[in-house]
Amino acid sequence: MTRLFSHFQSSVGSKVLLALSGLGLVSYVIFHMLGNLQVFEGPHALNRYAALLREMPILLWTARVGLLGIVVLHIVLALQLSLRNHRARPIGYAVRRYRRASVASRTMAASGAVLLLFIIFHLLHLTAGIIDPSASDRLDVEGHRDVYGKIVHAFQNPLIVALYVVGQLGLGLHVNHAVSSSLQTLGLEHAALNRLFKAAGPSVALLVILGNVAIIVAVFVGIVR
Amino acid sequence: MRFTLNIWRQNGPNENGRFISYEAYDVSPRMSFLEMLDGVNQGLVANGEEPVAFEHDCREGICGSCSLVIDGIPHGPDRGITTCQLYMRRFPDGAIITIEPWRAAAFPIVKDLVVDRSALDRVMQAGGYVSVNTGGAVDGNALLIGKDQAETAMDAASCIGCGACVAACKNASAMLFVAAKVSHLALLPQGKPERTGRVTAMIEAMDREGFGSCGNQYECEAVCPKRISVRFIATLNREYRRAGIVESALPNASESPHAESV
Amino acid sequence: MITKLDSKIPSGPLESKWDRHRFSERLVSPNNKRKLTVIVVGTGLAGASAASTLGQLGYQVECFCFHDSPRRAHSIAAQGGINAAKNYQDDGDSVGRLFYDTIKGGDFRSREANVYRLAQISGQIIDQCVALGIPFAREYGGQLANRSFGGVQVSRTFYCRGQTGQQLLLGAYSALCWQIERGQVTMRPRTEMLDLIVVDGQARGIVVRDLVTGRISIHTAHVVVLATGGYSNVYYLSTNASGSNVTATYRAWKQGAAFANPCFTQIHPTAIPPSDAYQAKLTLMSESLRNDGRLWVPKMLGDIRAPRDISEGERDYFLERRYPRFGNLAPRDIASRAVKAVCDEGRGVGPNGHGVYLDFAGVVEQQGLDVVSERYGNLFEMYHRITGEDAYHAPMRIYPAPHYTMGGLWVDYNLMSTIPGLFVIGEANFADHGANRLGASSLMQGLGDGYFILPYTIGHYLATAKLPPVTEDHAEAREAHHRVLNRMARLLAAKGRRTAASFHRKLGSLLWNYCGMSRNETGLKLALSSIPTLREEFWRDVVVPGTGDSFNQELEYAGRVADYLEFAELLCHDAWHRQESCGAHFREEYQTGDGEPKRDDARFSHVAAWEYREGASPILHKEPLAFEFVQPTTRSYQ
Repeated sequence: MTRLFSHFQSSVGSKVLLALSGLGLVSYVIFHMLGNLQVFEGPHALNRYAALLREMPILLWTARVGLLGIVVLHIVLALQLSLRNHRARPIGYAVRRYRRASVASRTMAASGAVLLLFIIFHLLHLTAGIIDPSASDRLDVEGHRDVYGKIVHAFQNPLIVALYVVGQLGLGLHVNHAVSSSLQTLGLEHAALNRLFKAAGPSVALLVILGNVAIIVAVFVGIVR
Repeated sequence: MRFTLNIWRQNGPNENGRFISYEAYDVSPRMSFLEMLDGVNQGLVANGEEPVAFEHDCREGICGSCSLVIDGIPHGPDRGITTCQLYMRRFPDGAIITIEPWRAAAFPIVKDLVVDRSALDRVMQAGGYVSVNTGGAVDGNALLIGKDQAETAMDAASCIGCGACVAACKNASAMLFVAAKVSHLALLPQGKPERTGRVTAMIEAMDREGFGSCGNQYECEAVCPKRISVRFIATLNREYRRAGIVESALPNASESPHAESV
Repeated sequence: MITKLDSKIPSGPLESKWDRHRFSERLVSPNNKRKLTVIVVGTGLAGASAASTLGQLGYQVECFCFHDSPRRAHSIAAQGGINAAKNYQDDGDSVGRLFYDTIKGGDFRSREANVYRLAQISGQIIDQCVALGIPFAREYGGQLANRSFGGVQVSRTFYCRGQTGQQLLLGAYSALCWQIERGQVTMRPRTEMLDLIVVDGQARGIVVRDLVTGRISIHTAHVVVLATGGYSNVYYLSTNASGSNVTATYRAWKQGAAFANPCFTQIHPTAIPPSDAYQAKLTLMSESLRNDGRLWVPKMLGDIRAPRDISEGERDYFLERRYPRFGNLAPRDIASRAVKAVCDEGRGVGPNGHGVYLDFAGVVEQQGLDVVSERYGNLFEMYHRITGEDAYHAPMRIYPAPHYTMGGLWVDYNLMSTIPGLFVIGEANFADHGANRLGASSLMQGLGDGYFILPYTIGHYLATAKLPPVTEDHAEAREAHHRVLNRMARLLAAKGRRTAASFHRKLGSLLWNYCGMSRNETGLKLALSSIPTLREEFWRDVVVPGTGDSFNQELEYAGRVADYLEFAELLCHDAWHRQESCGAHFREEYQTGDGEPKRDDARFSHVAAWEYREGASPILHKEPLAFEFVQPTTRSYQ
């Protein structure tokens, strides 16, 4: 067991953990998006869905604590690796030209940081309701908490919309490189499937951005009200 | 043709370096990049000045000695070649060309454009071999190896150890080098017996030498003079994961996979 | 003082000489091996395979190379392949045939016993290389693939695409890595040997310069092995790496090791022609191209039409015309001379008329572009990069270039030089290739020496020789150290105006013109009188910038050029002495009416081993070549 542990401490092992935690978070993001898309089915559906989640507090809190753990692990590993990478080249080049590296891959640290700030903001804003207390916790006609109303209220503010769209772009940029990169780190490589693996990152990123931004924009332009 | 060269000059590993500008006159488009530098150096030597130190030997792209970052790209603007195979016809007349050494903590500068790449040798010494004694090998045809398998192993084995992958990587990672070595032997039956220990030992050595981690940006593949594919990095990752699982099941495995009782 | 050359060839039938010799050799017990130290200089195929095998046997090995890594030795550049008498193709090959082809290819100027031994162990070399994980080309069924090479009519060449030397070297290097990891070999890269330490007539150490710090230090051992390659770079332009040099073997010569047949220098027929004066090296196009390519020049003098506009009838396929039986696969020396002959007639193509066509139109038409590109793609690409021309659609232009040196330090059957305790392996010794080496044989010889011959014979020497302890403080060691220091000081004191390269270039063109592909009395005399003058000019007018206690590439290079300037004289001297044409050595005075070489077995069936004398002409010692098993015949490929 100690051997296995030491295996994960190497640069390659850390990358495997980073990839696994990252893929876990991406799965959550997709799940989260699918849930929120119920906003298009009207307040009834979304609020019932939110209530359903709250009816299982053990599961909810396990998921929250688990997610937090994964996020912390992901960030700690990323910082560790960045530090190692920074030490690996103390003096940089005067002229630097990239031939292959995508913008997404070169900005992982930046997009990661944007994403982290956005997540904190998002939690304070919609989950904890600290940033905009005016919209917190009214009940709908069925007696459920009015999550739908909260969303509609939030995205009528252009500033909030702008912040969320930026956050989604950060998320997309990060996921764009992350998914394909994780598959490579996990050693998934096969002549017949490589195209699929390569397309996975951009596809997931696009999907997540489209889904989430659709909600925001729909509210803002008044399709959802 | 004539060029202005901005060349990194540094006297020794612990000294400060800086760019110095040189003019290269009377350059023929048929000259190789190194022959152009030879010309500049001949001028310097004739004036009693120290020539620009750079590494070179076979000058046909196989020894892996030459190692220049030209205008921000290791081995220069062409693909699939070493610096010695780059010709001046590739540059517009009058161009300003910046020449830097490989930059990585694991490759300390010896002088000017010459770096110490012995870290790669130490990674090899950690396990990049099949430990068979000389003599007593079975007949070469006793081991049947499919053509495709042999060709794939050869794709990996063609690495010339120049270190351009490290130089190009944002993180100065040596993953493509280690991947080529590990994959070459992992793909062949001869390498199977030591497969587990080899990959663990080589990754440990790679980390010890201070190379960075792989960011899967594939700059390495883009500058590799032998066009070694990054899919070997996936192979390396697989081999490493497999080793982790296999080794954790070995109760009496010694700490160092290649340790011997003396 | 060399009294008599004793080749120590065992008696008895050819087939069992080596077996019986190995049985009669004394062994070193495992306990004693641990106490014995071996210095190996050079890490090419011969050096790396020897150092790793000796380490594996239990000796303490100290291994030196001037490169930053042992993996960069010039063996890495060998393209074509490695021969072995495996007869996997069932095309009539055998140990006997490989032996005969090699002896005949060398124009009956090599030792029967050595060549036979090499043919015998050739199969083992392949097995060993496969065991090390070398990815040889395979057939679809998984068996090893073969191809044919110049000078033979069977397919016995094993290969790894066009990178055979690289793969074989990386295999030997990986074995070396293992022994370094085990602590059996201490590797000292970026260290150049500058002198040999001889104590009481035995080689006991070397003096080296650390190329990074400039420190000059003494290393002693029980025995010294030189594997420092050949000296083709004496011609300035050659296919060798820019670092390849004669210094180690030349310094050993000055300490008493005889130098054998220095005039046997191989000029390879298929290199890319030189284009300008600035050129630093010539690039070889693998001999394997001659399997499918056809050499030709226009029949008409001064025909400057594009090659495709010259019709079949107006072309002279000169190799096929002159050597119908072997055609384009004639051995290297013969092909090179034939190229020179047509160029001398003024029918050469390209700038300066230095070139002939190597044409693939036929094979492209018959077998398709894909087949040609699979077989030679990397070579065509290399050609395109250097010349900017596309060989798929117009013929290549090629011209001969110095490539390999059959001459080297004289060694006996045990690979020991005339200095006891100094063993010489690989291209550095005078080898088994006689007056001409066949393609794909140098890799075989380098690995044969290192893996399978030296490890046996060195043991016998160590088991029988009396070897009192020698430390760095020994008078002879100090003396050698002084010699090196003085020479360094002399080089650094030179503050003239001309670069070492300018002298090297001048020496090279002198040798190429007068001691190159063909030689004659007048030219050699001229060269012999010009070289000392050039040498004097060098010491008077060379400039070496920088200091001795730092990384100084110009100092390294100037030292090597200084040695070339002395060694070139020995080379020309030997060429002058050998008044016959044999193999790569072609004396214009000795040829038949149709320009074929005329060998003189009555006067020159010997190895010419030269002994150094200070301030005087070298002394010639002859080792007669006895042919008990084959009859020297006129070497005909017609």
